[in-house]
Amino acid sequence: MNEHERSLLRRLRDHDERAFRELIEAHRDRVYNITFRMLGNRAEAEDIAQEVFITVFKTIDTFREESKFSTWLYRVAVNHCKNRIKYLARRHDRDRDELDETTTSSGVNGTIGGPMPVSPHAAIESAQTEKLLQDAIASLDEEQRTVVVLRDVEDLSIEEIRDITGLPDGTIKSRLHRARLVLRKRLQRHVGEHE
Amino acid sequence: MTEDAEDEMVAKISDLVDGLLTGAERDEVTAKVQTDEAWKRVHEDILETRKHLSDLRRKAPAPEAFTKNVTETIHQRSRGGFFARRTLGDRVPFGVLLIVALVALAVVGYLMWSSQTGSLKVDQKKPADRPSISVPTP
Repeated sequence: MNEHERSLLRRLRDHDERAFRELIEAHRDRVYNITFRMLGNRAEAEDIAQEVFITVFKTIDTFREESKFSTWLYRVAVNHCKNRIKYLARRHDRDRDELDETTTSSGVNGTIGGPMPVSPHAAIESAQTEKLLQDAIASLDEEQRTVVVLRDVEDLSIEEIRDITGLPDGTIKSRLHRARLVLRKRLQRHVGEHE
Repeated sequence: MTEDAEDEMVAKISDLVDGLLTGAERDEVTAKVQTDEAWKRVHEDILETRKHLSDLRRKAPAPEAFTKNVTETIHQRSRGGFFARRTLGDRVPFGVLLIVALVALAVVGYLMWSSQTGSLKVDQKKPADRPSISVPTP
């Protein structure tokens, strides 16, 4: 942990609003992306990402600096997502096809994030692939989803994933293999349908 | 290829892609990927899947008003009491404050007692040492 991060933490513990804003600005996209990819729904993702930061603010005194701050933050995010997934499952609210107009339009028009696709055809293909992948991720069970989002979407190392999830390396790897197998088959099926 | 064999192949190729294989095992899997069509195809599929997945990272930034929304929510829930420097009582445990207060009280009490003019000074002369007052009888 560098000096800037330590100083930021001191200010956070003093409930300095500017420090909170700084923290949110630094991590908002990553946290939101994790919640969105885990939940597959923008509104849910925004709510949960907000709750993640609120939880961090409330419990900042319990962070003992034994791990990287980002690891702790992502652990809070993953736990919130898992709770939400369980809650939604209990409510039989499995409506995850809100890879919504916003996403589609962002993919097609390139207005939100990401490089501008080179042609309308490429843009449509890119949006379709994103929708397909998001659906495929949503079809994974919660544990596989967690590791594949952290590893393949967020590009975290196996060690970081172990610190976040508390799972042994072997379990992480086997869940990752299975998740990739499912995703690969889904993509293959899609390619097969379009050939 | 049986399902188990495919599972194992994907597991090995996944480990290779993640850089988790070393030595002879890595060489063995690398060789299979280069020479065996099925292994080569799965390797390419996994690399492609990973590439698509990593592209997802850049496609969902948080909404513009996210930071504002979070801080507003905190303001609302805490009724404005969350942000701001915390009072001494918030930062120092109550027990410590109590001990400091008791020590301070004892010091003040001692000073008042030991002072020549202290209001807590007790006259320690015995009654016998006091001069007797004679009361005239009528």
